[in-house]
Amino acid sequence: MVARDRRMIVTSILLPLVVTPLLFLGSSLGIKKHEKKLAEMVYPCAVSGPRAAMVKDLLAATRKRLDAAAATNKTVFRFKEVVCADPVQSLNQGDIQLILEGLPASSDDASHTNSAIHSGPSTAKPSEKDNSDDVEKPVPGSPVVRIVFRGDRHESAAGLSKMREALSQTRRLERAELLKTAGFPLPTENVVAVTEANLASQTQISGLALGKSLTLLLLLFIFSSGAVVATDSLAGEKERGTLETLLTTAAGRLEILAAKHLVIVVVALLITAIQILNLLAYIHFKLIPVPANWAAAITPFTAALLFFLYVPLAALAANVLLLVSGYARGYKEAQMWFLPVLLVGLVPALAPWLPGVPLRSAAVLVPIANLALAAKEILTGSFDWPMIALAWLVTAGAAAWTARLGARSLVQERLVTAADTDAVDFAGGPALFERRVLLWFCVIWAVLLIVSNYTSALDLRFQLVINLVGIFFGAACLMIRIYRLDPKLALALRFPRPAVWLGLVLAVPGGMLSALGLFRLANLLLPAPTRTVESFTDALLPPNVPFIQILLFMTVLPGIFEEITFRGLLLHGLRRRLHPVPLSLVVGIIFGIFHVALFRLVPTAALGAMFAGVTLLTGSIFPAMVWHAASNALGLLASKFNLPENELDSVCYLAGAGLLAAAFWIFWRHRTPYPDLRRPPPSR
Amino acid sequence: MSAPVSVHNLTKTFYDESRGQVRAVDDVSFECRPAEIFGLLGANGAGKTTTLRMLATILKPTSGHATLMGYDVANDPERVRRNLGFSSSTTALYPRLTARETLDFFARINGLPEDRVAERVESLIRRFGIASYAGARIDKLSQGMKQKVAIARTVVHDPPVLIFDEPTVGLDVLNALEMQQVIAEFRAEGKTIIFSTHIMSEAEKLCDRIAIIHQGRIHACDTLANLRTATGQHYLENIFVHFVQQATANAQPSPAGANLEAHGPDLT
Repeated sequence: MVARDRRMIVTSILLPLVVTPLLFLGSSLGIKKHEKKLAEMVYPCAVSGPRAAMVKDLLAATRKRLDAAAATNKTVFRFKEVVCADPVQSLNQGDIQLILEGLPASSDDASHTNSAIHSGPSTAKPSEKDNSDDVEKPVPGSPVVRIVFRGDRHESAAGLSKMREALSQTRRLERAELLKTAGFPLPTENVVAVTEANLASQTQISGLALGKSLTLLLLLFIFSSGAVVATDSLAGEKERGTLETLLTTAAGRLEILAAKHLVIVVVALLITAIQILNLLAYIHFKLIPVPANWAAAITPFTAALLFFLYVPLAALAANVLLLVSGYARGYKEAQMWFLPVLLVGLVPALAPWLPGVPLRSAAVLVPIANLALAAKEILTGSFDWPMIALAWLVTAGAAAWTARLGARSLVQERLVTAADTDAVDFAGGPALFERRVLLWFCVIWAVLLIVSNYTSALDLRFQLVINLVGIFFGAACLMIRIYRLDPKLALALRFPRPAVWLGLVLAVPGGMLSALGLFRLANLLLPAPTRTVESFTDALLPPNVPFIQILLFMTVLPGIFEEITFRGLLLHGLRRRLHPVPLSLVVGIIFGIFHVALFRLVPTAALGAMFAGVTLLTGSIFPAMVWHAASNALGLLASKFNLPENELDSVCYLAGAGLLAAAFWIFWRHRTPYPDLRRPPPSR
Repeated sequence: MSAPVSVHNLTKTFYDESRGQVRAVDDVSFECRPAEIFGLLGANGAGKTTTLRMLATILKPTSGHATLMGYDVANDPERVRRNLGFSSSTTALYPRLTARETLDFFARINGLPEDRVAERVESLIRRFGIASYAGARIDKLSQGMKQKVAIARTVVHDPPVLIFDEPTVGLDVLNALEMQQVIAEFRAEGKTIIFSTHIMSEAEKLCDRIAIIHQGRIHACDTLANLRTATGQHYLENIFVHFVQQATANAQPSPAGANLEAHGPDLT
């Protein structure tokens, strides 16, 4: 049926088949033509300033040198000196491309007062280049040749770099000659030649270039080709009225969704394959040039691995497209949504362009970004199998989650009715919070990541205040206000039985040792680099902050604000969606993910699950707050006094587990459970 | 044996930004018998389509329950749909499929055994006189031709219950008469048919029993003869007006009802 849509075939296959290579071809031809024009150009320039005679001499020497070089090299830089009454005006009008000012002194003041560009009629204030790194600082007292140009004109900007290089070379040669004439010896041991050697093979360098763009390009192809089918799939069916016909058939909603999903994936992959083959064909026939020394070698094994890697990516993209199509009321609305969705989808695919972000980092937990990083590393010959597997699983999990959302969207009545039939959506309030809580935490996580990027250089205390008070507590207040939550209920603000505090005495060391034991176990599978762990410990104990302040900030703030956010609102929002044990684990895992560093995921998730467990058993957030603060204090003290907490005997960790079990036995015996939890189904 | 279609206290509430809570269907109950055409007669916005969409499992009842061939519409939607043929003015056909492909697709998707599909499709093509344009794409067909394919599509899996929601809307007189004739033939074949309309003459001619629905409530449900006796009116038009006036007079002040009346057409 898809193949019968002529417009789709034209817009999705035929047009891109022609347009995409033409774009590459056109741009490369344009660049070549422009480069040729610049290479053949004779740059007109004027000489001015109080030391114009010096500049003229330098130009004459440069011309002589370039003329000699032109005998063997046709593309040598050429210039001509033009005499004009007002050089600045001539430069502004495009009659000349450069002004060479000869200035007597090297100080900024002197150059400014004598500069011709300030006396000219130019209305715009010229930008100074004297402070940029690529301009050498003049020796004090020596005259200056100042090149004045127009940065908003290609010819002038190109002329600047060529003229600077030419004059510098002439000056270097003259200096060497002067030294020689003055009888200075040239001790070779004092002259250092800087050369370079690249250990990476050309295949790896090309692989890096390809790996950085491959996911982005594929995602772009998949989105743009899948969007055509996806729009037709649900939004189009709604508009035509065929969706109601389909929904009244005996087919299950999941069957319908799976069929539509498959069509989008197959069409998107097919069109992507056609486009890639088309590009390869153009490259083969040299219609699209490849960079010099290009040597990306993709073996059949690498190709198969990449294909396998991208399967969840295609599935995720198809699901997102289908969700958008289902959400939109018609074609137009769906098309309006696709561009922002595409842009948001492409952002994580830019991860390989970020310097210093390896796959073995928290980025492995970000769908799409993780596959993009994995592809880059694979193409540069690095195969970090546990991380590749984790990346694949995370993106596959995201694809499964979006598929579930898609299946749910097919039973939503807004697909066939204009009015909303959902009381919760309509009325808002606490019931709506339970549906939106995970979305809120996704947004908080993204905000935390972005903000952390800007605050990482700040003092640890400021970072803690911004993250915990600004982001966590701010979001918590917003959630409470928007969804009209009762803070006492949502944050479990009630006191537990006194015996619980006794249990905490056992729980604090027990929890810490158990979490460390789990960290060591996880380290067997995913070894954390020692340097990373050390850097983290160093960052926790900055030398310029008194330890007592660190202790205060690291215990009180997380104890209060992280608990309000995670064991307060997150737990409250999920309490009726999961049974207590999975609920504790999910809250723990989300808490672990918020700690961003991959090596901290397992221990923080374990502690988070323990805090959630004690909150569920006591119905109170206070034990978790005290436990969290005490646990952080214990960790800090261990770091401060260099206790070998990560190198203890396994008996210690087992003893910790025993203490933890005893603590939970006390909590269980004196439980006052969290209200309104999801109950297990009654036994039949 | 239980009734093919049984509806008990069915209620559907919508929520709307401007109108608040709207009770589109309010405590509706009725039963349909085998080989009967059961008419749902009501003005635009009375709640006919919402009731039928709940029976077709597209909408979920807010309260009450309904069964179709013994299967609960809320708990067993796929079995319900397997036993149902649903046709309305809003159920369109795929424009890029041919008539034959349309019948073939809907036979398969509705679970007709593989070995019966071809035979069933060909028999329907013959029965409805589709043969001459069976290979043509739906978007190339005239309105009358599309209507025939749509009817064949509705019954392609041979369901025991058929729902026709205002099936003659937009049809010319001849096509409307043909549609009425086909529906009468289905009754003769023993199918249970729910027929919703706001055209009095259609209901008068076709329906064995008629339910008069107004503002989401059923105000009368009986044979035409009994309705005539009860109201002392001969024409269905007058009978309908009688019940609507009675309902308006008896109505308690109800903001929801008023809302429904004011904005009713959106809900059909």
